[in-house]
Amino acid sequence: METPRRRVAEEMAISIQIAAVLLLLMTGGAAGRSADDLVEELKSLRSQSPSGVIHLDDRLVSRFLTSVGTPRPYSLLIFFDANQLRSKAELRLPHLHSEFSLLSASFAAHHKDDASTSRIFFCDVEFEESQQSFDLFGVSSVPHVRLVPASTRSLRNSIPMDQSEFSRGAESMAEFLESKAKISLGGAILRPPRVSLRQVLFLLAAILISAPFLIRRILDGDTLIHDQRLWMSLALFVYFFGVSGTMHNIIHNMPMVLPDRSNPDRLIFFYQGSGMQLGAEGFAIGFLYMVVGLVLAFVAHLFVRFRSISAQRGFMLVGMLLAYWAVSKVIYLDNWKTGYSIHSFRPKSWW
Amino acid sequence: MGAKAAENGAKSSSSAPSPPPLKAFFRLKTKQQELLIRVASLALIYVLAFAVRLFSVLRYESMIHEFDPYFNYRTTLFLTRNGFYEFWNWFDSESWYPLGRIIGGTLYPGLMVTAALIYRLLRFLTFAVHIREVCVLTAPFFASNTTIVAYFFGKEIWDSGAGLVAAALIAICPGYISRSVAGSYDNEGVAIFALLFTFYLFVKAVNTGSLAWALASAFGYFYMVSAWGGYVFIINLIPLYVLVLLVTGRYSMRLYVAYNCMYILGMLLAMQIRFVGFQHVQSGEHMAAMGVFFLLQVFYFLDWVKYMLNDKQLFQSFLRITLTFAISVGALALGIGTASGYISPWTGRFYSLLDPTYAKDHIPIIASVSEHQPTAWSSFMFDFHILLFLFPAGLYFCFKRLSDATIFIVMYGLTSMYFAGVMVRLILVAAPAVCLISAIAISATVKNLTSLIRTKGKAPLAVSGKGSSSLKASAKASADQSLPFQHNCAIALLVGAFYLLSRYAIHCTWVTSEAYSSPSIVLAARGAHGGRVIFDDYREAYYWLRQNTPADAKVMSWWDYGYQITAMGNRTVIVDNNTWNNTHIATVGRAMSSYEPEAYEIMQSLDVDYVLVVFGGLTGYSSDDINKFLWMVRIGGGVFPVIKEPDYLVNGEYRVDKGAAPKMLNCLMYKLAYYRFGEMTTEYGKPTGYDRARGVEIGNKDIKLEYLEEAFTTSNWIIRIYKVKPPKNRW
Repeated sequence: METPRRRVAEEMAISIQIAAVLLLLMTGGAAGRSADDLVEELKSLRSQSPSGVIHLDDRLVSRFLTSVGTPRPYSLLIFFDANQLRSKAELRLPHLHSEFSLLSASFAAHHKDDASTSRIFFCDVEFEESQQSFDLFGVSSVPHVRLVPASTRSLRNSIPMDQSEFSRGAESMAEFLESKAKISLGGAILRPPRVSLRQVLFLLAAILISAPFLIRRILDGDTLIHDQRLWMSLALFVYFFGVSGTMHNIIHNMPMVLPDRSNPDRLIFFYQGSGMQLGAEGFAIGFLYMVVGLVLAFVAHLFVRFRSISAQRGFMLVGMLLAYWAVSKVIYLDNWKTGYSIHSFRPKSWW
Repeated sequence: MGAKAAENGAKSSSSAPSPPPLKAFFRLKTKQQELLIRVASLALIYVLAFAVRLFSVLRYESMIHEFDPYFNYRTTLFLTRNGFYEFWNWFDSESWYPLGRIIGGTLYPGLMVTAALIYRLLRFLTFAVHIREVCVLTAPFFASNTTIVAYFFGKEIWDSGAGLVAAALIAICPGYISRSVAGSYDNEGVAIFALLFTFYLFVKAVNTGSLAWALASAFGYFYMVSAWGGYVFIINLIPLYVLVLLVTGRYSMRLYVAYNCMYILGMLLAMQIRFVGFQHVQSGEHMAAMGVFFLLQVFYFLDWVKYMLNDKQLFQSFLRITLTFAISVGALALGIGTASGYISPWTGRFYSLLDPTYAKDHIPIIASVSEHQPTAWSSFMFDFHILLFLFPAGLYFCFKRLSDATIFIVMYGLTSMYFAGVMVRLILVAAPAVCLISAIAISATVKNLTSLIRTKGKAPLAVSGKGSSSLKASAKASADQSLPFQHNCAIALLVGAFYLLSRYAIHCTWVTSEAYSSPSIVLAARGAHGGRVIFDDYREAYYWLRQNTPADAKVMSWWDYGYQITAMGNRTVIVDNNTWNNTHIATVGRAMSSYEPEAYEIMQSLDVDYVLVVFGGLTGYSSDDINKFLWMVRIGGGVFPVIKEPDYLVNGEYRVDKGAAPKMLNCLMYKLAYYRFGEMTTEYGKPTGYDRARGVEIGNKDIKLEYLEEAFTTSNWIIRIYKVKPPKNRW
């Protein structure tokens, strides 16, 4: 516990020294450029991207941050991204980045022509092309968001956004911005509507036009919806959807599996504890439920139509074994998960 | 005919004359024997359903459970003492201080009126019972009645065998027991009976096309509306069902009669309940029923025109014009109604059922309740056990023998199953449907198997005459002549089925006894030596309030305990479980999550005299106020932005130990819960101030209170009451 903390402290001390030296070296070069030039440059960079997020690399970081004397005429909110980790679902990098872009775009929309547009700029940095900048900020893990206020001299002293603050999306990032940089968003986050107005109108028109034709076919009784099999599979799907706890997974955003903390190569499929479940777990159990029910139905309705007696008998046996296995599996898992051990009550004299 | 016979049988068996001699018994005809067996098993099931729910009385005592039932009990008491009109006009100044609450207009009176009537009836029959006993036993009584309804329902949709199995299943289904044990005097206790009864009557009306059944279903609906807010499920499921029948080309005159009568009369009757009022014509939740009503008229009209017009071509074009016109007019009316505010939009609870993530993001007061959480698979297993396996099979059987009635039960099963996935408490609504559908699977399978066993040696013709209408029986029968092992196989399967059913019975009994019979106002735990330890701290605290505080004292607590404080402590509360005013609750949440001086100002503005907190650190009781505290912050923060959730968290983690957020360690709730706890040794080998509910040593052991003083702490520290000091003398 003690040693890593001390090491971090040492590292920080060293890097602060390095940063100070770097700053000393660079201020000489930067002093020539006026602050307004930098702001203009940032603005032009911003106009190149549709959402207004400026993509920084090592060169730009030194140009706009390290080589500029404090107080800078602007603050930067920087999103640290890593292309190689974007595929890891639990980090939710693409989602967070799009939330960040939304924040940037909404900010631009709410402050079209006022002065605060030049006070804050939204940027992102990619790990592979700008490892130096990551070192400079002391960022070792993503997702990570940092605010560099105008007066911060060392980049390590910039304000990191808490995990809980950015994980709730653009709204909480805006709260962070307001509380730490005193820059208000000036309105709600402007999320693009899921279906645009034109699409809605088009859909409405299509429905209105097709309605009479559809209804006529319905009255005649010949459509897909008169197919019993479709209804039955839909019904079974709803059942599966319900009992496998899919709603639970959607509402609580549960992942399919969890990596084991003690052994990273292994995955945890089943979560012990009754109020919670993982995605794969629910589907597995839902599948087992379905198997037993369907075996029963098939035994009663399909197998009896087979001509061959031995085939009937074989399928019957397989069905019985399958059902037995599935039921005992589910009951075993349920007892394990909830920790209840169910036993019958019998008179004391029986013991 | 069978129903009538069963009713007659029930009458004769209840009087139970001296048993006939054995010889005479055997001389009964087969039909009579069957009837006797059926009635006897129904009577046994009726008793069983009641008896299994008495575990809570056996294990604890005859008392009212949980939170909401205390309000129901208090109002029932008021009703029996002051009469119906006083009750109807009751303005309660003891809750929601200083706002008060109009009780008569903001509750579903069905439960209280039912209990009061039963009480009157018993009094009339000179049984000297206390109203509390009536309240305690209302839910089991109605659960027994539900089994009878389930029998007739099963008979209506399949056959009497399925009805019997359904009655047996629902009598002990844990999903239903969880809310109908003795003492859980809540709306759901009678509402599930009313729900199933309405559905049964409606299906009967659709099957017969009789106005009398439709009228009965309207009255069933009225009773349901008077008893529980869940009536919205009926008023949406029935139109949906009618719509599906229309779409699949099953429109009939029977349907027309049943729905129109039920909808119009049911609506008019429901308007008599003040809490519901004109919602049937004004709220968006009820618009589907109205839309289907008009659609049905259009269908009838078209039928009539088709009958009048002989030209098919002409009819087609007429059809097209009318339908386009009708649909656009309907859409326009709905649009204008919603835009002008005449039709209110959906309420949050309803909306959160359709879009489950809605509540989590927008209405913390709904999302905070544990019974509103989404369901994990283990809860399904816990509440339904093997019924879950049988459900798909039952669905399959229903589809194989599709009729208006089976379509209904399939739709009821599926919609309620979906809703049960969204909220844990709605498993209750799904329970009857799951029992019925599973009963179909069991009954059909067992029937096949037994007929297989019986036909051994007999002519196959006898089988098909046995009444099993499905294909498979005859198919199996024709196949089995050349099968020497068919008989054994069937016996093996039958034994397997009975084994499974007996496991179900064991599971249900066990679950009822261990998990669902706890009153949650008296807590039980296993001691170190395996003996039962009872914590009766809640009642201790409430009686202390009743005996030791001024009669007009105002008590502030989190809303969970409001009903209990008013019912048992007889003191005024600031907020209670009827969460009608979010701002008021948020004010309390804000007080709890502020520093003491700010909290004192809020409490002064609300005239609070006592503050009550629930604390489980000493006993390891985990649903205490510290664990609920984040919800107080969230709800408070939803109205007052000065309260911010991240201030109470450390890296997104909720902690109470040394690493906790400073705001957390000094807020009012933390101080009140842990006041002087730092001096206490709770567990051997652990430092002082070790919180057993969260398993950590607390972070702030030296708590000084400036504006409050400790007034009372119960013997196990579960409830702590503090007195708010009067303002300091300013001179």
